[in-house]
Amino acid sequence: MTPKDKILRWVLFLILLFILAGMLFPMYWMVKTSLTKETGYVLNFSDLLPKGLTIKNYQDVWSSAPFLRFFLNSLIVAIFVTLGNLVFCLMVGYAFARREFVLKKVLFLSVILVLMIPAHIIIVPLFILIKKLGWYDTYLTLIVPWVVNPLGIFLMRQYIQNLPKELEDAARIDGAGDFKILFKIVMPLCKPALAVLAIQVFLVNWNSFLFPFILTSSEKMRTLPVALALYQGYQTIDWPHLMAASTICALPVIILFLFFQRQIISGLTAGALKQ
Amino acid sequence: MPKPKTTFIFLLPWIIILLLFWLFPLIYSFILSFAKYSILTGEVEWIGLANYFKLLQDPDFWIALKNTSFFVLGTIPFTTILALVLAILVNQKIPLRGFFRAGYFVPSITSLVVIALVFTHLYARDGYFDFLFKLLNLSSPEKGFLFSEKTALLSIMLMDVWVSVGYYMLLFLAALQAVPLELYEISDTFGANFWQKFRFVTLPHLKPMFLFVILINTIKSFQIFIEVFVMTKGGPLNSTLTMVYLVYEQGLHKFNFGYASAIAYCLFFIIMVFSLLQMKAFGLGKGIED
Repeated sequence: MTPKDKILRWVLFLILLFILAGMLFPMYWMVKTSLTKETGYVLNFSDLLPKGLTIKNYQDVWSSAPFLRFFLNSLIVAIFVTLGNLVFCLMVGYAFARREFVLKKVLFLSVILVLMIPAHIIIVPLFILIKKLGWYDTYLTLIVPWVVNPLGIFLMRQYIQNLPKELEDAARIDGAGDFKILFKIVMPLCKPALAVLAIQVFLVNWNSFLFPFILTSSEKMRTLPVALALYQGYQTIDWPHLMAASTICALPVIILFLFFQRQIISGLTAGALKQ
Repeated sequence: MPKPKTTFIFLLPWIIILLLFWLFPLIYSFILSFAKYSILTGEVEWIGLANYFKLLQDPDFWIALKNTSFFVLGTIPFTTILALVLAILVNQKIPLRGFFRAGYFVPSITSLVVIALVFTHLYARDGYFDFLFKLLNLSSPEKGFLFSEKTALLSIMLMDVWVSVGYYMLLFLAALQAVPLELYEISDTFGANFWQKFRFVTLPHLKPMFLFVILINTIKSFQIFIEVFVMTKGGPLNSTLTMVYLVYEQGLHKFNFGYASAIAYCLFFIIMVFSLLQMKAFGLGKGIED
């Protein structure tokens, strides 16, 4: 490597560092505001730095009764939806990968089409349907419609297609039934894909806003994002507390990302790479 | 032999969800767009194309369409090009490049509600952006960026580019890494410079990813809602009113189900036309089935 290349590399490094600062600044700002008592207005340079740090905002937020409820709602919904997807995407993906049946092409096309449909356009009919089912403002509406998703089916189908078939055939000769083959033989082999799926689904549902927002109404059914978005409504904005609550909402995702970066990235790019 | 019955059971979860929560709402919404639905009595009155005619004369619809189009056309070129540039940069041999890739991606996985709240704070009067503008001797809106008709939509657009660029960077990065290295080696033997290699080796290989990135970003951007709901509620003076926000307002605030469905279907139609045009422009369209 010539000295010129070396300099170029370090210039590039500094540029990337500068961009990184820009990408992470809002995150820094959120945490900084959450740790102070002040409004967070910027009148001079020293206001950009944290001062008078306190964790009192977090204590206030945690000890307020509705917040704990919002946090638990988010957790319950994300966990059940994730569990549902693990079982159902595996089942459907397996059928697409290994079985022949009538209308297979049509049904698989429906998976692709739902993936491409702008979901926001069905908010009105979905609202009416959920009301008619009597699910409005219940956990059912937050969980059941989302327990299987097209991207997950796609992901599992791709993965199972590339698995060797011999193990399944051997198990069948030994007299294992279809369910036993799927859950005892195939499922353990799918662990890497299921991990990608679980994290992906958890993230999406933890952050989900629009559907939980339009399909619930009472305060006790709110998930964290819904509660945060509606918080502004009923009082003048108390930024330090709001930012503390926002940080708590963002933190689980960031922690998951730190540990499962590879799975998260492959889950989010999986749909794209097959094109 | 595998039993046909179990095949059906395995498929059942998707069949139920597809029929009940996708197909039914899509069809029901289409039917509703030709009707007036009374929420009190549950009565449906057929009014033909009246909702669609009403829509053509509704100034809010045209404002929403204009704002949404401006948002889509104004963000996608920036997001796409920035994402590509970032992907090329983090694909070079640089210390800590994995760290940069991860860092740029963090906004994409954070809740959009949280991000919109943080930016509301940053855009406020005497907030961070206000400070930057004053520092550069630029005039900033008096009540804050989100409270001025001139700057509200632009502020949301800037935030949107910032949020989404990391995700598309990763997509481009995946495509870049799939370019066969031998092609670069061959170009080197011909003495090709960086730009020639980029133009004749990299770009042709990125074409399918370009289409995909623009396509999904178009579908996503036309549906912008959360940012508007959290930051401006469509204001000030409708300057950030978007199509989905209008659907929400008409359908779930004023309970004009029929009219809201007509708007939603218009949006659906627009997105479909855009998507097909893009596929055509890139000479693709096949290759979706496998």
